Amino acid sequence: MPPVAPRSGDAIFASVERVNAELFTLTYGAIVRQLLTDLEEVEEVNKQLDQMGYNIGIRLIDEFLAKSNVSRCVDFKETAEVIAKVGFKMFLGVTATVTNWDAEGTTCSLVLEDNPLVDFVELPDTCQGLYYCNVLSGVIRGALEMVSSYLNGRLGLSVDNLVSMKTEVTWIRDMLRGDDAFEMQVKLVKQVPEEYPYKDDE
Amino acid sequence: MIGVGKMKQYTNVLDRPLSKGKQEVSLSAFAFLFSELVQYNQTQVDNIAELERRLEDAGYAVGARVLELLCHREKGNRRETRLLGILSFVHSTVWKVLFGKVADSLEKGTEHEDEYMISEKELLVNRFISIPKDMGTFNCGAFVAGIVRGVLDNAGFPAVVTAHFVPVEGQQRPRTTILIKFAEEVLRREARLG
Amino acid sequence: MANTACFMIVSKNDIPIYEAEVGAAPRKEDAAHQHQFILHAALDIVQDLAWTTSAMFLKGIDRFNDLVVSVYVTAGHTRLMLLHDSRNDDGIKSFFQEVHELYIKTLLNPLYLPGSRITSSHFDTKVRALARKYL
Repeated sequence: MPPVAPRSGDAIFASVERVNAELFTLTYGAIVRQLLTDLEEVEEVNKQLDQMGYNIGIRLIDEFLAKSNVSRCVDFKETAEVIAKVGFKMFLGVTATVTNWDAEGTTCSLVLEDNPLVDFVELPDTCQGLYYCNVLSGVIRGALEMVSSYLNGRLGLSVDNLVSMKTEVTWIRDMLRGDDAFEMQVKLVKQVPEEYPYKDDE
Repeated sequence: MIGVGKMKQYTNVLDRPLSKGKQEVSLSAFAFLFSELVQYNQTQVDNIAELERRLEDAGYAVGARVLELLCHREKGNRRETRLLGILSFVHSTVWKVLFGKVADSLEKGTEHEDEYMISEKELLVNRFISIPKDMGTFNCGAFVAGIVRGVLDNAGFPAVVTAHFVPVEGQQRPRTTILIKFAEEVLRREARLG
Repeated sequence: MANTACFMIVSKNDIPIYEAEVGAAPRKEDAAHQHQFILHAALDIVQDLAWTTSAMFLKGIDRFNDLVVSVYVTAGHTRLMLLHDSRNDDGIKSFFQEVHELYIKTLLNPLYLPGSRITSSHFDTKVRALARKYL
């Protein structure tokens, strides 16, 4: 059977159930507000948002892979492209662009200009260190970590090809701090050959 | 690097036009986010009542904003002054914008003069969360109850608003009812306005 | 342009969250306080009137010498109040409508606490520019 062509982000987004982005934006605002009230320290809020994002990232990968029919992402470069074009689109309805690759192909930037997490947000003086959209960095981190292990499992790759993409995600540009876009730097920290202890039982 | 995006760069949020409300995200994106809201709050409380209260509080501030935005954008700056008017605003306008449809029903309570119920066969926030048995009557609709209370309170119709599961004959899943109990001052004013 | 114009935004809980003297006449400290006092005193009238109409713009609801109080009550009962000497009702209405939009944008900021003072200097700049344009 010929391989199924991967579906475009637009096609998937058109086919899934959607909700008004305002419900999403307002709910996210409520979350950030709660965290600021509970945790008080802006750095703690950043960490909590990242953790929430990570929790989301490791769960949404299932849906991402199921709906997008992406063939095995042969490397980090391809994975980043697919996340930017298909991943962002099918969940958030917007696309990101991938830029600033380093020579080794282990670091890149994901750039977002349209961001449904943010609407009329202005950081007050008391919140200057807040990374309001930090949930996104967690989602990217969580999703990338799971990408390979799911693909490995489904496609039955040989033990030599198993990898896990652990990454570090940092904010380079933030529109809430006066920049012209949201830019996250995604850096592969280690490609870990995955332990596959049950292989012999299959 | 400045990309090829269409969005203009505004120097300040106040210069940006108000959204027309047409942008969308996937339902699952909202579901994941809402699920994190609930799970986070579970770690902050000792019991179900507290959990519901926290979700309601989170919804209240959303309601306050929704009221101002939608009256302006959807109702041509018409300010509701009558009880049925504000209930209709919640049941139709607010529901349509937030959940994509008007609420299934709006009913007046039969036992109490000050009670009204907005019901939904499948309230959006209850669709993708299954409540474990040990959480009893906990209802994620508490968040929506908070939104409704935020709208009503800021519009000048203070009320106690709660979310309940109501079993329906012939249906496997119960429906969700948002119960609104208006403060006495509201009924007195309604009577006065005639 | 109006010679005298004092603009105030009062929260639903009757707390002033923004005020500005926006008339052409030179500012006088005592006058400003007196203006705010007059506007605050008119709140009871506004409250009663607000329930008799679904319109947001309530013109000329009170007088003080040659000054008139006009009010714009938002859906959430935030009051935009203007003490003025001009009779330019259309200009006043437009002024209120544009400030109303600025207020909504401010409110939509999840990090703004409703009912708290509006401290944005950009908000202040824009309100003053609108006053010059319409009043």
